[in-house]
Amino acid sequence: MTVERVIAQDIEASVREHQEHDAAGNSKFGFIVFLLSESVIFLSFFTGYIIYKTTTPDWYPLGVTGLETREPLINTMVLISSSFVIYVAERYLHDRKLWGFRLFLLATMIMGSYFLWGQAVEWRGLPFTHQSGLFGGTFYLLTGFHGLHVLTGVLLQLIMLVRSLIPGNYDNGYFGVEATSLFWHFVDVIWIVLYTLIYVWQ
Amino acid sequence: MTNLSLDPPISIVRGQPQPGAPDNWRRFFTFSTDHKVIGVQYIVTAFVFFLIGGILSMIMRGELITPEADLVDRTVYNALFTMHGSIMLFMWTFPVLVGLGNYLVPLMIGARDMAFPRLNAVSFWMIPVVGILMLASFLVPGGPSQSGWWAYPPVSLQNPTGNLINGQVLWILAVAISGVSSILGAVNFVTTIFRMRAPGMTWFRTPAFVWAVLAAQLIQLYGLPALTGGAVMLLLDLTLGTSFFAPERGGNPILYQHFFWFYSHPAVYVMVLPVFGIYSEILPVHARKPLFGYRVIAASSLLITVISAFVWVHHMFASATPGWMRMFFMVTTMLVAVPSGIKVFGWVATIWGGKIRFTTPMLFALGGISNWVFAGITGIFLGSVPIDIHVNNTYFVVGHFHYVLYGAIVMGIYAGIYHWFPKMTGRMYYEGLGKLHFALTYIGTALTFLPMHPAGLMGMPRRVASYDLEFAYWNVIASIGGFLLGLSTLPFLLNMVSSWIRGERVGNNPWRAYGLEWLTASPPSVENYEETPIVISGPYGYGGNKPLVEHAPNPDLTDFPESFTPQEQAS
Amino acid sequence: MLKLRAILILSIYAVLVTLASVWMAKQSYAWFPPEASAESKLLDDLFSLFTGLGTFIYLGVIGPFLYSLVFHRAAKYDLSDGPPIEGNKWLEIIWTAVPLVLVLTLSFVSYRTYDKMAVRGPMELVHLHLPNVVPAAYAEPFDSTPQQEIQQALETAPVEQIDVLAKQWAWVFHYPEADVTSTELHLPVDRRVKFSLRSQDVLHGFYIPAFRLKQDVVPNHAIDLELTPIKTGTYRLRDSMFSGTYFAANQADVVVQPYADYQQWLTTAATQAPTPAYNQAAYEYSRTGDRRTGNTKPKVAVRGWDTIPPAPPPMVNYAPKHEVNSPPA
Ligand code: HEA
Ligand code: HEA
Ligand code: CUA
Ligand SMILES: [Cu+2]
Repeated sequence: MTVERVIAQDIEASVREHQEHDAAGNSKFGFIVFLLSESVIFLSFFTGYIIYKTTTPDWYPLGVTGLETREPLINTMVLISSSFVIYVAERYLHDRKLWGFRLFLLATMIMGSYFLWGQAVEWRGLPFTHQSGLFGGTFYLLTGFHGLHVLTGVLLQLIMLVRSLIPGNYDNGYFGVEATSLFWHFVDVIWIVLYTLIYVWQ
Repeated sequence: MTNLSLDPPISIVRGQPQPGAPDNWRRFFTFSTDHKVIGVQYIVTAFVFFLIGGILSMIMRGELITPEADLVDRTVYNALFTMHGSIMLFMWTFPVLVGLGNYLVPLMIGARDMAFPRLNAVSFWMIPVVGILMLASFLVPGGPSQSGWWAYPPVSLQNPTGNLINGQVLWILAVAISGVSSILGAVNFVTTIFRMRAPGMTWFRTPAFVWAVLAAQLIQLYGLPALTGGAVMLLLDLTLGTSFFAPERGGNPILYQHFFWFYSHPAVYVMVLPVFGIYSEILPVHARKPLFGYRVIAASSLLITVISAFVWVHHMFASATPGWMRMFFMVTTMLVAVPSGIKVFGWVATIWGGKIRFTTPMLFALGGISNWVFAGITGIFLGSVPIDIHVNNTYFVVGHFHYVLYGAIVMGIYAGIYHWFPKMTGRMYYEGLGKLHFALTYIGTALTFLPMHPAGLMGMPRRVASYDLEFAYWNVIASIGGFLLGLSTLPFLLNMVSSWIRGERVGNNPWRAYGLEWLTASPPSVENYEETPIVISGPYGYGGNKPLVEHAPNPDLTDFPESFTPQEQAS
Repeated sequence: MLKLRAILILSIYAVLVTLASVWMAKQSYAWFPPEASAESKLLDDLFSLFTGLGTFIYLGVIGPFLYSLVFHRAAKYDLSDGPPIEGNKWLEIIWTAVPLVLVLTLSFVSYRTYDKMAVRGPMELVHLHLPNVVPAAYAEPFDSTPQQEIQQALETAPVEQIDVLAKQWAWVFHYPEADVTSTELHLPVDRRVKFSLRSQDVLHGFYIPAFRLKQDVVPNHAIDLELTPIKTGTYRLRDSMFSGTYFAANQADVVVQPYADYQQWLTTAATQAPTPAYNQAAYEYSRTGDRRTGNTKPKVAVRGWDTIPPAPPPMVNYAPKHEVNSPPA
């Protein structure tokens, strides 16, 4: 190893130390920027949906008169509540109470999975497909794209749960958990808009 | 004689050997997280694709030198301009500018790296994947996408081979990956610029280039997701039989155009803004005067970011847009002239009364600005609805945008590469070759793209492999010019390769320039700065006596390279 | 001393620039095809204005720029810096305000021209039902000739209605009153013509450079376009919106003729039985040979890929005579 390299590594180490406390702040800032950007995808899908819905003469495919709202409403309630549950989990972590954190995170995951399951059941029972005109296409596009995000959220939570088992993992901050929770709130807000557009506005 | 102090530069510990040392060049082929390595990776990769895109355009110009479609089949011609446009934009202009930004932004703001170095590397390595997908589409049955770089449905949904894997699908995938890479890059840039500026570097002490990069990357953040949304829907139409944009299934092809241009119009400013930044950095150095009206120039970049979100329909004046939309977007489009004008006038005032030296980067910057004014004015022509209704989709438009894309942007990129070449390599390029390169490029641009304007006014549509005889005259000139442009890249290549290997070694600041990046070694060490600089004044202190940073000197004269003695300069 | 020289040179330059701009504005009329419609006159005037102003702005910026490059170069051995001028508030305000005023003016003038053309164009595809920002056309009498021509054409004669069908890759014109179809567009001179544009497959662009008018043609959506031909002659109609493989060959002739001749043509054509018209795309496609063994057109050096087959040649009452294998006229 050359002298130069040793010096370089030395410097890198000290730099890293110096920047450590900034790094978490950067990550949070960056993640929020990312979510804002991500929301534009949904925004464009929503805009598309509104335009299609207001301009298409035969909106619903033959034999479809509207969407059942009862089960989706239950689903919605579960998803919205889970936002509070993950918040509680985060509080527990903040207070260094790992077991409470794990418990509530697990609860969030179960609620998220319930939502996905409910969505799957709904999809199976529907009398139309993604090829059933613009209604079918946008319905599956929006719910499917959102569902993918829910799935991602649950997977992130799983990772956080597993990581909480590593001793001392959250001693130097827990940006990962914050991000997961932020993401989950984001997925939630999107769903509220989506639910209003698709189920309420019929 | 000089207003600059002569203190020695901060001594820098070399964290890495000089480039050219045997264990050194290999790092450019690794998953490095050093922003400087990534910057060079971007630039070099992008340049390879510039050559590929350029070769495609050479074949196109070969086809167009005669009125008949006789060199290549019509399907091939359509694939050529589609891939030429796509490669030039997604594989050359975007990546090369991200590369320059990557290299320069952390240095200019006194940061040790980008905010997320690993993410940065991931963003870069997606680019070769995009390139491979694009090139691979030449090999699949049915050939590459043939629907133009807009991929407008229904043409883009027509799938002659019926295969699931076809050129159009690959194209959409490539564009989507390139989009993900750009969004991640944008998050990185925005975070870096917001949070990692050196102590004392307030917003109005931040170099104009950094402002411009910020403005451009903000556009990526709000615009790209819309394109991604549209691309996802197009892909679903193409593969799963949904009907979003397919008219025969009740879909609305015009909506795609809105999705597409909502991003792709602002995208042109993503490309031009960093180049504005390059001009703003280069002119003060080589005219030895502060950037005139620096604050408004910096702020006007953000103004462009905002306005450019509301002009996209000017690409659709002739499609099914109702009158009120045409009028509204005409006004917003023309408003872009205001922030653009602020910049142009500021640049002219910067060189006015300065001590101008015609170095290669300066020549390219000056040539680029003059082309930009021309192209901007033809842009205003296009913004006028009645005029656009005549010239839309003609060669007038092709002339307009090549004047920007080649005349202003590619020339600006060249300017930037020459200007920071000594910083990146520690060596100087060859002036003679540089000036030859400039002359060929400038003449070639005019010869190739000027004749496209009259051809367009006469009514020659774009994207045609054959055309009526009346247009032959202008096309022959354009083709000859095009070949000249192709040749013009050769002195550049020669210059870069040979100067990097054996160019004259110069000091850290051969231009005696202000700016944090010039206070560190050339090439900078891995960590950029031994200690974080503390900025105490604005970025363009020429002629004044204010030091830029605490405990450190102004640009020093001791490093002035032999070949750059003033005698040769003035010639 | 130095200042004086600059002011003197720049004043002279300003005069020269003005002259050059006027000259260019006049020159610009020569860059276009013949003015064959009333609308084209309106456009050419507008374009001339833009050219004049554009020249003025371009030279106005480039002049001081070049002046600086010539006179403000660093002398040999001169390593000093220029004066540390960082800006000037008034200059900056002026060069923000002037372009602002200029572009607002240009927008307004363009709006007036557009309004006078009264081409109709598409309605809102998205039915937003906003208040009509663009008021109904032809409301205001205006003294320029083209406007009068449009007016007159409107008042004196009923509007000629013509249906245009675009497809991959042919144009078919249908005259509903005489029930005539044709692949050549015949128009009466000095009469308002109203096209109803429809597409059978993909986007096309209805573009007649001599008329300076263009409108994309969108499937599932009939779009109206109005214009007034004012000059007899034969012009080209080109597909302007890329429509796939044989896009470049999707062209037709436009014959503007005196009303009597036009009527004559219609009556003659009505008696003709529909026959398949010559179609360049179909012709080229038929010669592509066996796709798998390659070679497309014998003349072409590089073979191509699979393409969407062209629609069969249109069956029309009238089609211009075409030499087989002749390039489009
Ligand atoms: C980076 C690239 C870039 C840039 C910066 C621009 C800048 C501008 N462009 Fe261009 N444009 C393209 C790239 C670019 N364009 C491309 C690629 C296309 C075609 C895409 C395709 O179809 O494939 C296109 C197409 C295009 C169209 C659509 C044409 C059509 O398809 O029918 C229009 C219409 O309005 C337009 C307008 C403008 C305007 C008004 C500006 C303005 O920003 C210009 C502003 C600048 C100035 C005006 C000069 C400086 C100002 C002054 C000196 C002040 C005084 C001036 C006045 C008062 C006028 N452009
Ligand atoms: C940054 C973007 C960019 C750049 C730099 C260029 C550069 C060039 N472009 Fe392109 N162009 C576009 C973006 C760009 N273009 C876009 C977006 C379109 C629209 C596509 C569409 O309609 O969908 C387009 C369309 C387009 C057309 C219209 C096609 C049509 O509508 O039918 C034409 C026609 O002449 C053309 C020509 C050229 C030429 C001659 C160059 C020259 O400047 C190129 C110079 C050549 C080189 C740089 C290559 C040099 C290399 C060699 C000579 C070999 C050396 C090789 C090795 C050492 C390996 N371009
Ligand atoms: Cu409603 Cu067109
Ligand atoms: Cu645009």
